[in-house]
Amino acid sequence: MAEDNSGEISFKKETVSKLLARFFKEDKTRLGGDAAVLMAEMLRIFVREAAVRSQKQAESEDCDQVDIEHFEKILPQLLLDF
Amino acid sequence: AWFKLQRLKAAVHYTVARICERLGEEHRREFSRQAVAAITETAVRQCDIFSKDLEAFARHAKRSTVSTEDVKLLARRSAALSIYIQNKVEELNQGQSLKK
Repeated sequence: MAEDNSGEISFKKETVSKLLARFFKEDKTRLGGDAAVLMAEMLRIFVREAAVRSQKQAESEDCDQVDIEHFEKILPQLLLDF
Repeated sequence: AWFKLQRLKAAVHYTVARICERLGEEHRREFSRQAVAAITETAVRQCDIFSKDLEAFARHAKRSTVSTEDVKLLARRSAALSIYIQNKVEELNQGQSLKK
């Protein structure tokens, strides 16, 4: 998927925009173009934050692999931050 | 409709997997398949919350189109995130004035 010029792996604007549109309660609600670009960025930060925090959790437990329980431990605080 | 959501989830999963893979290489700590799947599932659920909040913010301002102002409100909880999004908005605005 698209990588921006900073070399970051990011979500496609269309994917995010279709996904968000699916969850709107009213049919007439639309997502503006710039808002869609920002939301792709928000989702990237959310996922990156989830992954980095899980990795740190695995590190603190001296585990070589990041597993689901590491993610579960960081999940409550992650959700509070977003 | 269910099929379409599955396809969107698959697209999200693809990018989540790539982000995890890159971090795994950088820090020499790989992600298990289940961990990647759990992050994807959470990201999709978070999108559900994001979109309902955005829709409510837009309606509160009597708009039916979600704007960058609504995204700024969404990012208000964390100071760092809020500043980051604010800067992105300015970048987008500058890009537009260059085109004109």
